[in-house]
Amino acid sequence: MEEKIAQLKQEAADIIRRHTDTLPELNDVRVKLFGKKGEFTSLLRGLKELAQEERPRIGQIVNEARGQLEALLEEKKEELKARDMAEKLAGEKLDVTLPGRHKWQGHLHPLTLTLDRIKAIFMDMGFTVEEGPEIERDYFNFEALNLPKDHPARDMQDSFYITEEILMRTQTSPVQARTMQAHEPNTPIRMIAPGRVYRRDDYDATHSPMFTQVEGLVIGEGIRFSDLKGTLELFLHRIFNDNIGVRFRPSFFPFTEPSAEVDISCVMCHGKGCRVCKGTGWLEILGAGMVHPHVLEMSGYDPKKVSGFAFGLGVERIAMLSYGIDDLRLFYDNDLRFLRQFE
Amino acid sequence: MQVSIKWLKDYIDIEETPEQLADLLTMAGVPVENVVRADEGLEKVVTGRLAEVVPHPDSDHLQVCTVDVGEKEPLTIVTGAPNVKQGQVVPVALVGAHLPNGQKISKGKLRGVASMGMLCSADELKMELANLPEEQKTGIYILPDDTPVGQPAAKALGLDDCILEFELTANRGDCFSVFGIVREISVLTGRKPHWPEIGAKEDDAAKAEDMVKIAIDAPDLCSRFSARVLKNVKIGPSPEWMQKRLEGAGIRAINNVVDVTNFVMVELGQPMHAYDYDEVVGHSLTARRANQGENVHTLDDSSRLAKGGELVIADAEKPAGLAGVMGGLETEITEKTTTVVLEAASFNGPSIRRTSRALGLHSEASGRFERGVDVTGTVRALDRAAQLLADMGACSVTKGVVDVYPVKKEPAAVEFTAEEVNGRLGTAVAGEKMKSILESLGFDIEEKGAGAYRAIVPSWRNDVSCMEDISEEIARIYGFDHIPSTTPQGEIMEARQSARQAFSDKIRRVLASLGMDEARSFAFTHPSMFDKLNVPEDSPLRRAIPIMNPLTDEYPLVRTTLLTNLFENATRNFSRKNEDVRLFELAPVFLPKALPVTEQPDEVLKLAGILSGRREPVGLGQDSAALDFYDAKGIVEELFSALSISRYTVEAGEHFALHPGKTAIFKKGKEVLAVVGEVHPAVQEAFGVTKKMYIFEMDVATLLAHAEKNFTSQPLPRYPGISRDLALIVSEETAAADVERVIKKNAGPYFKNVALFDLYTGKQIGEGKKSLAFALHFQSGERTLTDEEIDAACKKIVESVGKEFGAELRM
Repeated sequence: MEEKIAQLKQEAADIIRRHTDTLPELNDVRVKLFGKKGEFTSLLRGLKELAQEERPRIGQIVNEARGQLEALLEEKKEELKARDMAEKLAGEKLDVTLPGRHKWQGHLHPLTLTLDRIKAIFMDMGFTVEEGPEIERDYFNFEALNLPKDHPARDMQDSFYITEEILMRTQTSPVQARTMQAHEPNTPIRMIAPGRVYRRDDYDATHSPMFTQVEGLVIGEGIRFSDLKGTLELFLHRIFNDNIGVRFRPSFFPFTEPSAEVDISCVMCHGKGCRVCKGTGWLEILGAGMVHPHVLEMSGYDPKKVSGFAFGLGVERIAMLSYGIDDLRLFYDNDLRFLRQFE
Repeated sequence: MQVSIKWLKDYIDIEETPEQLADLLTMAGVPVENVVRADEGLEKVVTGRLAEVVPHPDSDHLQVCTVDVGEKEPLTIVTGAPNVKQGQVVPVALVGAHLPNGQKISKGKLRGVASMGMLCSADELKMELANLPEEQKTGIYILPDDTPVGQPAAKALGLDDCILEFELTANRGDCFSVFGIVREISVLTGRKPHWPEIGAKEDDAAKAEDMVKIAIDAPDLCSRFSARVLKNVKIGPSPEWMQKRLEGAGIRAINNVVDVTNFVMVELGQPMHAYDYDEVVGHSLTARRANQGENVHTLDDSSRLAKGGELVIADAEKPAGLAGVMGGLETEITEKTTTVVLEAASFNGPSIRRTSRALGLHSEASGRFERGVDVTGTVRALDRAAQLLADMGACSVTKGVVDVYPVKKEPAAVEFTAEEVNGRLGTAVAGEKMKSILESLGFDIEEKGAGAYRAIVPSWRNDVSCMEDISEEIARIYGFDHIPSTTPQGEIMEARQSARQAFSDKIRRVLASLGMDEARSFAFTHPSMFDKLNVPEDSPLRRAIPIMNPLTDEYPLVRTTLLTNLFENATRNFSRKNEDVRLFELAPVFLPKALPVTEQPDEVLKLAGILSGRREPVGLGQDSAALDFYDAKGIVEELFSALSISRYTVEAGEHFALHPGKTAIFKKGKEVLAVVGEVHPAVQEAFGVTKKMYIFEMDVATLLAHAEKNFTSQPLPRYPGISRDLALIVSEETAAADVERVIKKNAGPYFKNVALFDLYTGKQIGEGKKSLAFALHFQSGERTLTDEEIDAACKKIVESVGKEFGAELRM
C-alpha cells in the first residue's frame, strides 16, 4: 500500500510538473486525482479494507501525499495563470505613439492674459479695479485732468469726437476723476482702471485707433514721489523680471507734477542697444507722476491735506514685450493661428 | 526743435560727447529724441592731394592718381571722374570706409591697375547739394588748395557737427531756443555761459515812431507788440556761418532779413516777422480779430477765408498776415525791399493754436507761441535782429522801438518750504541746496524764515506757479535717480473688483475651457454691415453713433452689435484657410439715447460667439463631422451651468441673422437670456461664406442678474434612487422641451431629474412620428423607494403626455 501511494504521488507529481501545459489540463489532473472517482479518493476509500491498526499510519501518509500534491497543483496553477496573463498582455500591445483623443482647447486673448497679470499684481498690493465709460465727456477726459480746451498737450492725443463735448476717451485717466468724485472727499484711493481707449492714429505696427490702457491712482495722506517709484518698480519687476532695469525720466503731463516717463532696460538686448530700443538700451513703458493739485481740487479733494500719484500704461506694449510680438495689428486681426499660441 | 552742437558751443563750453550731452538733458526733462552726426559714414574719409594724375594705360576714360594722404606711402587710386587735376586737394575714401550712401570701399583692380580707395563727389558724402555752386555738384568735390592733407574730410567740409533733435514737452516753451538749452546745460554742468552782447546801434536819424503806427485792438490775444524800423536795407544772402546754423536747426536760408528773423527766433525763442514797409498800407500795423469771411492772402500764395475771431496783423486796409502763424504775401520781403518793419510780439497761445490747427498750418513760430514765449523778450529780439543786420552792413537802424505793452506782466512768486517739497518727493534735500538749484535756473529766492522761501519765477518760465511746480524743478535737477524708492504707507485697502468684472472674467475662462478662442475687435463699424447682417430697417441697431472725424471711410460708426465683428473675424480666418472657427468676444456695444447724440450713450456689455468647422480637432479616432446647431447650443448650456444659471426655458424663436427654423431663444420668464442659431443663408452669402456658421449672443448684465450667487453644497443621498427609461412616440412637430416640461410636472414627489438620451425617427414607428427616450431618476431623502411607487409615477407620466401630446409608450 505504501508503495502504491508513493508511486502514485511520484507519477502525479511528474505529470503536474512536466506534462501539464494549460489550466484545463491542470484541472483534469486535479479531478483525476481528487475527484469523486479520483485515484486518491479511491485510495482513501481503500483504507477501510486495511487492518484497524494500520489505518492511522497509512491514512496519515495518504493525507501528507495529498497535501503535497495539492500544493503542487496550486503552485502550477499560479505559474500557468501568470504565463497566460503574460501571453495575453503580449498580444494586446498598442502603438502608443498614435495620437491621443482631443477636445478643442480655447484660448484667452493675449491682451486678456496680460490684463489678468497686471490686475493680479495690483490687487496683491491692495488696489481696487474700477471702470469708466468708453464714450466720455470732454470734461472728464480732458478738463478735469487740467487740460483745458486749446491746451497744446491735447495735440498729444488726437481724438475721435462724437460731438463737441463728447468723445471716444483717449485715455483711461478720466476714471481718475470719476473715482475721486464717487469717493467721500479726501478719503484714500488705491485703484487701477483697465480699458479700451481710442486715438486718431493710423493703423500700423506700433499704432492703432483703439488700444488698451491701465490707469492707476493712489491717493492718501503723505503719498510721495518715492512711493510712486517704489510701487512702479515693484510692478515692473513682477510683470517682467527682477533683473530688469527701471529708470525714471522727468517728463510732462498736465495732470501730474512732477511727471515721469518710466523706462525699462531693453528686454531684447538687455540694455546693450538694438533695433527694438533704437540703440538706447531703454524702452519707454509707462507715464506717471504726482497728481496735480488742480486735478485733486476739481474732484473735491484738498491738495493741502492729501497727495497722490497716478500712472498709465499701455497693455499692448507690455504684451508685445512679454511675448516678443513685433506687430500690434496682430492683436486685432484675430487670426486663429495667432490666438491659439497663447495658453 | 533741433539745433547743432556748434551753435550751442557759441555760448557755452561743451566737454561731453553729443551722446553724453543728450543723456544729461534727457534725464533732466529736456528730452533729446535723436543725435544726428553730420559726419556719419565719413570716419575713413580724409583729405588727400593729387600728387600725380596720369591716364590709365588700358582705358580712355579712367585716370590713375597718386594721392598723398599724409602717410609715408602715397596711394594709387583709379578714378573715372574727368574733373581731377594734379595738385588738387580732394576727399579720399580709404579702404574700409562705409560711406553715408551705403557704399563700402575695398581694394579693387580697374583694368589691371590696383586701386586703394576712392575719390569722392559731394553726393557720395551726402552733402546738401542745393547749397553748392554748380561746378561742385557733379564730379569729384574739390577742396580749397590750402586744405591740410591727411585730416578728416568731415572737418574740412564743415561736416564735423552734430544735430540734437529735441522732443520737448508742451510745458517747456523756454527750451525752444538755443539760449534756453544753453541755460539748462549750464545748470546741469555748472559751467557759465558766455552770452553775446546784444544791442542795436541806432545810426539812422529817423524815428521809428514817426514812421510806423502800432496798435493792439485785441489785448486778450496780443499782450505786447513791439516793432523796429530798418532803412536802406540791401537784400542779399546771409553770411555762410548763419546759413550753416539755420541749416542745423532745419531751417532753409532765404535772404538776409528773413534769415535774421529766423536766427533770432531760434537763438532767443522769440518769433519775429519782417514786413516790407512800403507795402504796408497806411504804415500802420494793428493786432486785431479777423472779421468773418475776411480774406488773408498768405505767403504761400493762398487765399484763406477767416472764420472770424482769428488774430491777424492788419495794415490800414486788410490783414497783412495771420499773427504768429504765417505772414501775408503783399508785405513779404522781396529783392526790391528797402525799408523793413520788424515785428516781435507776444500772442495768446490757445488762439494761435486754434488758428494753426484750423488751417493745418504749423510753423516754427506757431509752435513757440502755443507753448508760450517770454513777453519781456520782444525788445531784446528786435535789438538782436537789428544788430545782426547792421553788422552785415545790410541796413541802417532808425531810432527807438515802437512798443505797445498795455499791461505789464509782473513776475510770479511762489512760496514754499523745504519740508513741503521733501514731503512731496520723499527726499531729504537741504533748503540751501533747493535754493541754489532754483537760483541756477534763474529764480530769485528770498528766505522767509527757517526752510521757508519765496521764489520769484523768471519771466521765461510760464510753467511754474505753485509749490508742486517747484518740487518738479528740484526733482529734475537733483535727479530722479537720487530719489529713494518706497511703498505707500497708510491703512490697508481692500483689493476688489466689481461683480460684473469678476463675472466677465469667469465667462471668458469658461468659454475657453469649452474650446472657444477669444477675439478682440475694433469698436467701429460701417453702415453696409447692417445690410449684410440683414438688420431690419427700423431696428435700433441701425442707429449707430457717427464719429465726427473718422479715420477712414471704412469705420464711420461706433458699433451697436458684436456680430459684424465676429463675421469679419470668421471670414478673415476662412480666407486664410483656418477652417475651424470657434471665436467669442465680450465687449460693450454703444446704443445712443438719442440721435443726434446729446449725452453719453448706453454702453451695454455683450457676449457673442461664432462656430464653424469640425466638431473635434482633426485626428485619428476624432469626430470629423461638421459641428451643428446642437454643438452651439451645448456651449450656451454648459456656460449657463458653469455660471449657475438654471430653470430657464428654451423655445424656437426668430432673429434677423438666423435661419428661421434653427433659432433658439433661452428665456427666464419673459427675459431673453441668449439667442443661438444657424446663420441665415442670406447672411452667410452676404459675407461670402460657403459653409455653415452658428452664432450665439447674450447680454452680460442679464446673465449676471440671473446667476445664482449663493451656492451651498447638497448632502449625498442616504438611500438608493431608482432610474427608469421611457421612450415616448410623439408627432414630429412636438418640441422635446414641451414633453420634458410635462414630464417634470407630473413626475411626482420623488422626481429628481430627466435627460433626453435618444431621438429616433423611422419606419418602425411610423411616418411623421419620432421617439424620444428619456432617462428619469427618482430619489427620496427619507427612505428606499419601491418599484411599485415608481411604476405608478411612470404610469402617471405616460398618461399625462398621452393626454397632452397623444404620446404613446414605445414598447
